[in-house]
Amino acid sequence: MATATKSIGKEVSNSSNGKVYSGGQALMECLIAEGVDTIFGYPGGAIMPVYDALYDYMDRIEHILVRHEQGASHAAEGYARSSGRVGVCMATSGPGATNLITGIADAIIDCTPMVAITGQVASALLGTDAFQETDVIGITAPVCKWNYQITSADEIPEIMAKAFYIARAGKPGPVLVDITKDAQVAFMTKKFEYKKVDWLPGYHPRIKPKMEQVEKAAELINSAKKPYILVGHGVLISEAMEEFKALVEKADIPVASTLLGLSALSIEHPNYMGWLGMHGMYAPNVMTDECDVLIAIGMRFDDRVTGDANRFAKQARIVHIEVDPAEIDKIKKAEAPVIGDAKEALQMLLPLIEKRDFTDWKQQFRDLEPAEKEAVNNRDLAGEGKIKMAEVVKMVSDKTNGEACVVVDVGQHQMVTARYYDFKKPHSYIASGGLGTMGFAIPAAFGAKMGAPDRDVIAFIGDGCFQMTIQELGTIAQSGKAVKMIILNNSFLGMVRQWQQLFFDRRYSFVDLQNPDFITIAKGFGIPGHTCEARENLSESIDQLLSSEGSYLLEVIVEKEENVFPMVPAGTSVSEIRLK
Amino acid sequence: MEQLKTYTICVFTENSIGLLNKITIIFTRRRLNIESLTVSETERKGVSRFTIVIKHEQREAVEKLVRQIRKVVEVLSVFGYLNEDIVYNDIALFKIPTPLDSKPLDMETINREHKAYIVYWGLDYVVLQKTGTEEEIFDFFKYIKPYGILEFVRSGRVAVARTPKGLVEYLPDEVEWEYYL
Repeated sequence: MATATKSIGKEVSNSSNGKVYSGGQALMECLIAEGVDTIFGYPGGAIMPVYDALYDYMDRIEHILVRHEQGASHAAEGYARSSGRVGVCMATSGPGATNLITGIADAIIDCTPMVAITGQVASALLGTDAFQETDVIGITAPVCKWNYQITSADEIPEIMAKAFYIARAGKPGPVLVDITKDAQVAFMTKKFEYKKVDWLPGYHPRIKPKMEQVEKAAELINSAKKPYILVGHGVLISEAMEEFKALVEKADIPVASTLLGLSALSIEHPNYMGWLGMHGMYAPNVMTDECDVLIAIGMRFDDRVTGDANRFAKQARIVHIEVDPAEIDKIKKAEAPVIGDAKEALQMLLPLIEKRDFTDWKQQFRDLEPAEKEAVNNRDLAGEGKIKMAEVVKMVSDKTNGEACVVVDVGQHQMVTARYYDFKKPHSYIASGGLGTMGFAIPAAFGAKMGAPDRDVIAFIGDGCFQMTIQELGTIAQSGKAVKMIILNNSFLGMVRQWQQLFFDRRYSFVDLQNPDFITIAKGFGIPGHTCEARENLSESIDQLLSSEGSYLLEVIVEKEENVFPMVPAGTSVSEIRLK
Repeated sequence: MEQLKTYTICVFTENSIGLLNKITIIFTRRRLNIESLTVSETERKGVSRFTIVIKHEQREAVEKLVRQIRKVVEVLSVFGYLNEDIVYNDIALFKIPTPLDSKPLDMETINREHKAYIVYWGLDYVVLQKTGTEEEIFDFFKYIKPYGILEFVRSGRVAVARTPKGLVEYLPDEVEWEYYL
């Protein structure tokens, strides 16, 4: 590390005033210096000195005791996604650390800033198969943006400063810091000084794009006859919503979002055409085959967006605005790549973009809407037979005026929520997009509430997903925070069942669930709730959920064998989209 | 598919624990086999240089790989080369038996034609050192094989770029580097 340390650190933001800190205390001081107000964690043997230090910092840092470490990492994600700040989770060595990993892997693929702190056996015991020893650095290397093992208390300030910088700089991601027990206990041998980092020799992402790249992109956009914007998570991460809206309005370009780009532009905006992808909307999907210039902003051409990437938008010339250079040309070749932060790039691009009017071109998108409405929406919202997921989501959307922070789990309900919730405020759709982690929603919704306490947080969760992290109901109850949860219960692993129906000849292999009484379980944890089975009770049930002071669980029994359409089957092109 | 080509990837990194793993997992995840790998410290203190040789049919895939290696935080810079862009060599040691009744080694041919030299005389064996490209080493291997090879070992490739500038000159200049030179 010798080379790295020389030039980092611009200003001293904290110093110990002559007090000698232990490793554990130094860690707490670092977290405070970084503005951390919440830690999601679980104590255990190898992290106990840190927890002992935390005891004296309870007035400044709120520690949330989760029920399983996976809950801590997902809650940290939810916190980061709703607040834009770095989520912090903490666990002990061995099983504590391995339990964090699903959330860490989820965070790297969805670009969520996170610092995970794990305890480790004393440095003298490393490699001896000591109690609860596991090679967490080795295990997490492929799923971390960076990781590091601290073996001396003196290293703590420098490494924590690096950890927070790396977690949030450029394309955000998770960083894991493993601290041996002796480093937590030992006193620092030098004065505690916390110097924030904003540059590292091996990591200094380009934030401000090169002007020539922006000019080339502007030229291509100005020359377009049928331009089309795909907006991704990057616009939300860099808080570029205003700049983005200004560009869209000046150039009058139709916009579709990716799944995680949902809520970057209000659904009410006249240029917003919907979202695209495997279960995205009809017009946004098929129009990728019609546009002449495709402007991708803060998105990475995931296979759930493109279907068969070789056939995706192959007629289009592509402008790709992206902060991570490794994403350029990774899936789709960009004629005009712009490497930089979305906010900076859009600010530079805006004055170069000509004012245009694409009324006719936008109308082509609108012309496709009736086909989808007729085949899909009208059926989903017909109000016949058993309650459909879509009706529940739509009603919640209407009753919350599209302004809630919506957290979803993974599966059919996730897609239906994306389709039928009318997002009007940014940072309002928190989902596990890249990793598709079932069990995400309960802890992530709780984390989202901690990160945005003034917003209504509503989680839509499948009955399968709910049982994967059901223990976190205890965390929610103990915190006293209000998380509104809706189980859309079809007693099936619905998405897998849908695939088995469509692509595996209805061979329903292990997808039906014998579910517990969710309401009794919630009540056992101290969270009230009730079940709604009849359509005539749905409105009143949702009112009860929304008006409850604290957390609430509403279980809605929905149609068992409902399918989500439209659908672009995996590996096919968007032209093969199915409406039924 | 283009034809299978040899690529030499030079990676400059901070010298820290676990970095070899962080780099090799990038290859593992993409199912790329590493033909050879050499790591040592450079003329700058605390900066290591990895020379990694792979074979691949698609230049584009190698470019993507290089960009992924750049993402590792401790990696300072990465360069990818075809053979014609670099001067490169491997080093090989051959342990050859020389019992009393054996056919004597033809040192003239070994020295002049193969540019290989004896670096150690044992009681009834010698150690020959041959420096050269993989092909030259393999040629020498074929030549020396009839004498019997007790042991053979070849290093990974080391390479320098055919440019007038040193590659370390491309490292971030905000750092005050310390030199060994």
